[in-house]
Parts: sequence; C-alpha cells; structure tokens
Amino acid sequence: MSSTTLAEHAHVDHGHAHDDHGHHHQPWYRQYLFSTDHKVIAKQFLLSSLIFLFVGGAFALFIRWQLAYPGKPVPVIGSMMPDTWVDAPGSGIITPEFYAQLLTMHGTVMIFFVIIPFAVGMFGNFCIPLMIGTDDMALPRLNMWSFWLIPPAGLIMMSAFWVEGGYAAAGWTSYPPLSASIGNPALKLNGQALWLISLFLVGFSSIMGAVNYVTTVLNKRAKGMKMFDMPLTVWALFITAIIITLGTPVLAAALAMLFMDNFLHTSFFLPDHLVTSQKYFGGGQPVLWQHLFWFYSHPAVYIMILPLMGIVSDVMATFSRKPIYGYKAMVFAIAGIAFLGFIVWGHHMFQSGMNPLLGTTFMLSTIVIAVPSSIKVFNWLGTLWRGNIKFSSAMLNALAFVSMFIIGGLSGVFMASAPVDIYIHDTYFIVAHIHYVLFGGSLFGIFAGIYYWYPKMFGKMLSETWGRRHFFWTFIFFNLTFFPMHVLGVGGHMRRIYDPNVYDFLKGMAGLNEFITIAAIGLGFSQLILVGNILWSLKNGRKAPRNPWRANTLEWAAPAHPGHGNFDRDITVYRGPYEYSVEGRDLDYWPQWEPGKSVTVDHHTIAVADDAGETKVFGAH
Amino acid sequence: MGDILSVFDMLSWFPENISTFGQELDDLFAIIYYISVAIFFLTFGILGWFLVKYRSRPGHKGYNYHGNNIVEVTWTILPTILFAGIGLYSDDIWEKTKYSKRVPKPDVEILVLGKTYGWTFLYPGADGKFGRNAYTDRTARALMTATNPFGKDPEDPASADDFMMENQFRVPVNANVVMRGSSQDVLHSFFLPHMRVKQDVVPGTWMNIWYNAFKTGTYELACAELCGGGHYSMRAEYQVLSKADYDKWLDGKVAEVAAASAPVAEAPAADTTAAAPSN
Repeated sequence: MSSTTLAEHAHVDHGHAHDDHGHHHQPWYRQYLFSTDHKVIAKQFLLSSLIFLFVGGAFALFIRWQLAYPGKPVPVIGSMMPDTWVDAPGSGIITPEFYAQLLTMHGTVMIFFVIIPFAVGMFGNFCIPLMIGTDDMALPRLNMWSFWLIPPAGLIMMSAFWVEGGYAAAGWTSYPPLSASIGNPALKLNGQALWLISLFLVGFSSIMGAVNYVTTVLNKRAKGMKMFDMPLTVWALFITAIIITLGTPVLAAALAMLFMDNFLHTSFFLPDHLVTSQKYFGGGQPVLWQHLFWFYSHPAVYIMILPLMGIVSDVMATFSRKPIYGYKAMVFAIAGIAFLGFIVWGHHMFQSGMNPLLGTTFMLSTIVIAVPSSIKVFNWLGTLWRGNIKFSSAMLNALAFVSMFIIGGLSGVFMASAPVDIYIHDTYFIVAHIHYVLFGGSLFGIFAGIYYWYPKMFGKMLSETWGRRHFFWTFIFFNLTFFPMHVLGVGGHMRRIYDPNVYDFLKGMAGLNEFITIAAIGLGFSQLILVGNILWSLKNGRKAPRNPWRANTLEWAAPAHPGHGNFDRDITVYRGPYEYSVEGRDLDYWPQWEPGKSVTVDHHTIAVADDAGETKVFGAH
Repeated sequence: MGDILSVFDMLSWFPENISTFGQELDDLFAIIYYISVAIFFLTFGILGWFLVKYRSRPGHKGYNYHGNNIVEVTWTILPTILFAGIGLYSDDIWEKTKYSKRVPKPDVEILVLGKTYGWTFLYPGADGKFGRNAYTDRTARALMTATNPFGKDPEDPASADDFMMENQFRVPVNANVVMRGSSQDVLHSFFLPHMRVKQDVVPGTWMNIWYNAFKTGTYELACAELCGGGHYSMRAEYQVLSKADYDKWLDGKVAEVAAASAPVAEAPAADTTAAAPSN
C-alpha cells in the first residue's frame, strides 16, 4: 500500500512537466484555433460534439412532445417558436412539416455531428498518438482540416432555417424521390440540397481523419511496439479508419448524384413518368440510392460503435485489474465485424422491394455478424471474472455499454430475421433497437471515455460524485425512455408519424407515449450534469496525477497535462497493454513502458527478478 | 401496476392477427423473444454475479489470466449454431411469404397506388381482367396523370369496366388476394398491421403483395415509409367481407360503373369514367 502512495506522490510531482519538444511560441490562433496538436483538435471535437449533442437532443424533445401531446402547444418556449415551425404564429403547435424536419435533423445531427465526431474525431485524435507513444499524428495539418470542415458543415446544415421549406425533411436516410424534392423547381437550394452539401463535407472530414489514423498507426508506433502490443482502443480506431476510407467515398458519390437529382433535375434515382408538376428524364431507380446509402451507412453503424468497444475494453481491463480476456480474439472479432459489416447492408432493405432472394442472402450474412458481437460480450464478461472491480464513473459507463449492447444486440436478432422484420420494420421496435445500440452503446461508451481520459486531456480530475449521479440518472431515464419503445413497435406503432391518434389500432398506446416523453425529458436534462461536471472540474477539479487509474497504456507515461509533443522522455515498449495483477510484482499493474522480464505459463504472466530492478524506472513505480 | 407490468409481456401487445401466415410470423417472433429473454437473464445474471463477487475490497486481488482458446472456440461455435438455426428456420417463412414464385394463384387481383397522401385501388371489374394500364403494359405509364393515376388506356375496351377506389378497399374472406403495388410519386409502404403485411411501394416498379384473411371485419391500412409532412395521415380502411357480401358489393360496383359509362358515349369528358368516384 505504501508503495502506491509513493507512486501517486511521484506522479503529482511530474504533473506539470510540460514539454515543448521544439514547438516554440506560436500565436494564440495557432495554439487554440488552427492548432495542429492532436490533443487540441480532440478538444475541439469534444466541444463541437457537445454543442450538437444538445441541439440534437432538443430536436428529440420536440418530437417526443408532439407524440405524447399531439396538437398541444409546446410548453415554456412554444410562444417563442418561429412562425414557420408552428401552425399559427405564437400558437406553439408543431406543424407536420416541421415534425418531419425535426426527425430528419435529430437523426442527422446525432449521427454525423455527435456520435461519429465523438467516437472517431475526438477519441481517434486524442488516443492514437498518446497510446502508441508518439508526439503527434503523421499528418498534423490534414488532421486540423478534418476538424475545420465540421463547423462549416454544421452551419450549412443549420442555415436551412432561412431557406424556403426549412430544414431537410426526408429522414436521415433521405430516400428519393422524396429527397430529390420532386416538384420543386431546378437550381433552387432547399434544405435537402444544403443537407447533401453539408454531409459531403462531413464525409471529407472523416476521410481525412481516417487516412491520418491509418498512416499514424502503421508508421509512428513507439520503439518496440508490435501491432499486437497496441491497446484495443487503437486497434478499434485503426480498423474503423479502414472502414471509413472504404465506405465514405461511396456515400460521397451517392450524395453527389442525389444533389444533381435535387438541384439539376437529373434522374439517377427517379423513374420515368412520375406524377409531378416538374419534368424529369426518368429511367432512374429509387432503390439504387438505398443500396449506395446503406453500403456506407451500415458500416457506419460499426464506425459508431467499434471505437467505443475498444475504449470500453480498456476501461474494463483497468478497473477490473485484469488482462482483457482473449485479447487476440477481441482483435479478430473487431476485424470480423468490420469485414462482415460490408456485406449486410441489405438488411435495412428487406421490405424495400429488392429481390426477395437477396433478403435470404442478407439475412444469413446478418445472422453471421451476431457471432463476433457475442464473442466480444463473452470476452468482456471473462475480463470481469476473478477481477478486482472498482466502480468508478468510467467503469460504470463501460458496464452500461456492455449491458445495453446486449439488449441492443438481442433486439437486432428480431429484425435480422427477414420475416419478423416484415411486421416490425419501420416501427418503434427499430427506433428502440438503434437507440439501445447508439445511445445505450455508443453514447455510454463515449461517457466512459470522457471520464477515463479527462485527467489526461485537461490535467484535472472530474468529480466522481457528480460523475456517478450523471451515470445513474442517465442509465435510469435511458431505459425508461427506450425500453417501452419495443412495446410500441410490437403494437405496430410506425416511426416518423406526426400523430399516432389518427389510427384506431394505436389508440391504446397514448399513455405509453406520454410516459416515454416524461422519461425523455428527464434524460435530456440529466446531460446537464455532465456539462456542469466538465466545466466545474476544469477550474475546481483536483490536480490530476500522471497515472491516476494506475493503468498500463502509454498515454499515462506522458505528463499529467501533456503539451505539444506529448512525452517528456523516450518511450520504449516492453510488453502488451494488459499486464494487470501479474504474479511476482508488488504493484497490480505493469506499464508497457517499464522494463522487466516475465515468462508466460499457461496463459498467466509471471514477473521474473531482473538485475535492472524496478527502481531505475522513471515515475518510480 | 398491471399496465406497467404489461410492458414486460411484450407479446400481448400485438394487434389481432387475421391472415393465414400471420400466426407463423408471430410464432417466429415469439421464439426469438423467448430465446432473447433466456440469453438476457443468463448474461445479466453472470454480469451481476461477477460484479458482486469480484468487487474491489481490502485484501482482494485481481488475477492475471489472458484467456483460453478452447473457451473462445466454444463460445464462437455455440452462438453460430443458434443463430444459423434461427436464420434457416426464418428463411423458410420468408420464402413462403415474399418470394415471387411463391405468390399464390390470385382469387382476387387488385392494383394499389400510393400518392402523397393517400391510396388508390383499381379493381378489374366485371370481366375480372385489367385492360391496358401502367401495370399490364409498361408503355402505358406515359398515360399516368393525377386524374388517371393507373394510366388506364381509354381506347382499350377491357379497361372500361376497371374501377377505382380511394382510401378504402374490400376483399373477400378466405381468398388469396394478390395486390400489385406501386407509387405515383415518392416511396410509400403498404402496411396492414392486422395482416402482418408490409411492402414498400416504389414508383416505376410493381411489387407483389399477397395475403389470405380468415376473419371478416373493418381494419386499417397505414403508410410505413416517410413520404412528407402528411405521412401520418395516409390512413385508409379496408373491409374483409364474407364471400356473399363481397360478391354483392362487387355486383353493385359493376352495375354502377356500367351505368356511369353508358352516357359517356355522348358526354365529352371521357376521363370521368377513369376517375370513377369511390364507393
């Protein structure tokens, strides 16, 4: 015990040993705004994603209000809502057209401006160079651009507020012909066209980031670090980056074609003789868009969850004081999911009118992808087995990720079965499923990552008390909000409908809709705790030690609040990232950068006495 | 309290099933549901047990163990067998309900067209056969307009008795009803919750939709694919009638159409027959 205290003490001493590595004084706008430092870029992604999280959340609460209380004015801010959003000026009653814009923008913002920038932009930038022990990305300037495309993209998307017809309103999937805005005159920018331009930019941002990640991981690993010495976070981000480079160009091509259909009245996705006021050449195929879109967007589901699977693995190993169970199996499972992710896109299209024979094919490939997912779950459980589990805020969120991912994965089996999907497709069952995966999964994973790396990011500790409160309220309200949505789906409740009370068969669900809305409001407001904690701790948080969680990975070898250039000494890697509770050592962790010999006997690592001794190591562990 | 608990009895929320294959779909849902509930309790049980048993406390230590290939292979193969079983069993039902070659010989054939926002139906009329229209002849798509959505060719005599219905349709009980669905503008999805039928309808293509209802009554049709602000209002009603009632209704319609088309020889507006009023 005494050695631990000493170690912590030593960490604090080194806490502010900022290191310049020749990065001399730069003007403020190069330090904070157009910085090429990967950690600053990560913070920029954190800030923009947090802002958009609340924008997207606000859209969701409008949707929920309308579903629970159709035709009733939005409380508090209803009278202040713009005239184009409401049925009469000042009435506060949402119009059906605005409702369609809300659901479109909620999905788009949450996926393209929150989850992907958080998971890939923020964690990719922050974790990769630090965890592989290098000073920065391989291509820092490209990295800076990958962030600086996000704000203009967001502004373009949001500027649709000022164009006729408002925001895009064809759903985040934007199926043509609806998204081609048939009937609108050519050469007129509408919300949908702005949506397409905006996503094109976001796609570029993703590609630039991804190319950078792959290059960095392959070329800039610290001395001695083999690929299989990399933490799972880096593996997951690396494989995700490969998915992005393969998938995003396809989306970009599809967006360009749809933009031409929308703006120039070409007919990539429009068949002949549509009954509309505008003239089209025809000869296109609406379902083609769905194939192109889902060819990207199904892998995008994994872009949104694989990095978090990596992060959760690292958090679980650290707080269970155990090696990841089946590290290589975890890597192969990530790779397997990434590969299979490219051949299952058709399961979004079982009812789309594609050849039903393809339904059989895509059903079988989809069912196969459940296998690597379950391997991961079993390995996480195996990691907990015989651990020494400490329930920190980061760990609680990681455990929420695993448990909610189990539910989301199981509900996925229903819709993977094509005949079951006939009935539940486009109902709230699907809505429940994606929220269990993307909120219960991805967002809890993001929270886990924020709680885990905040000390390294800002040099301060987050408040654990408020971290736990944020976790409990979020976890409870999350389940109260999204679990009943399965039930709505079984009842046949269609998604994206403005007023369920129009239908007799949905009349019995009004109470459930109201319940969900109240829980959703609680869920939304719980997130203020997170923001409050982040801001409060920035100023008042306890000063972070160099290695507050006593973890093994390389980022904890860097100073507590590393400056441009990251490390204050040379890093050599001696072992894998998960040597916790090694027999023959006093400490229950053995950092990757610490010299020392060991033998492996029957899946156990045992430390061997070495003349070099542990005392020579910096950080005095 | 009962209301709250009923949330956990998910299967009780299904609307009544009235189609012959509906029960098979519901049973498949139930099988996956029970398997999921079992896996849920198993994994959450293990998770909860580990969290309590291996919680950090004084004197307790972690255990350095990197995993075991035999265990990995076991928990790869077991889910594979389970999921493959679900997949193969599902495929039988999928082929039966959706494959084009498995669509039964129609007792009644109806065309359905989605539009923003509503549904139009075309019955073949007295001769039981469709004349030249956008379904029977692709080139007739050129005739499609807002008032003649099916592109009925007024010059084809077989077309004259084909009649349209707006936002409602009727089918006989215990008969194979085959509908060919399309759209005149954007995507819609033809959703009969009580029949467990859902099929997107795509402009430019005709989709096969079939079912066989075993119970009479009035039910609802909904659109399940976002098609604009009025998406929610694409509600329609349909009636499943006994054979006698259906024949009586059909005879009435046929007579009505014949009566309406008789004076057309003199009247100038030929397209009023095409857009025969519903009901």
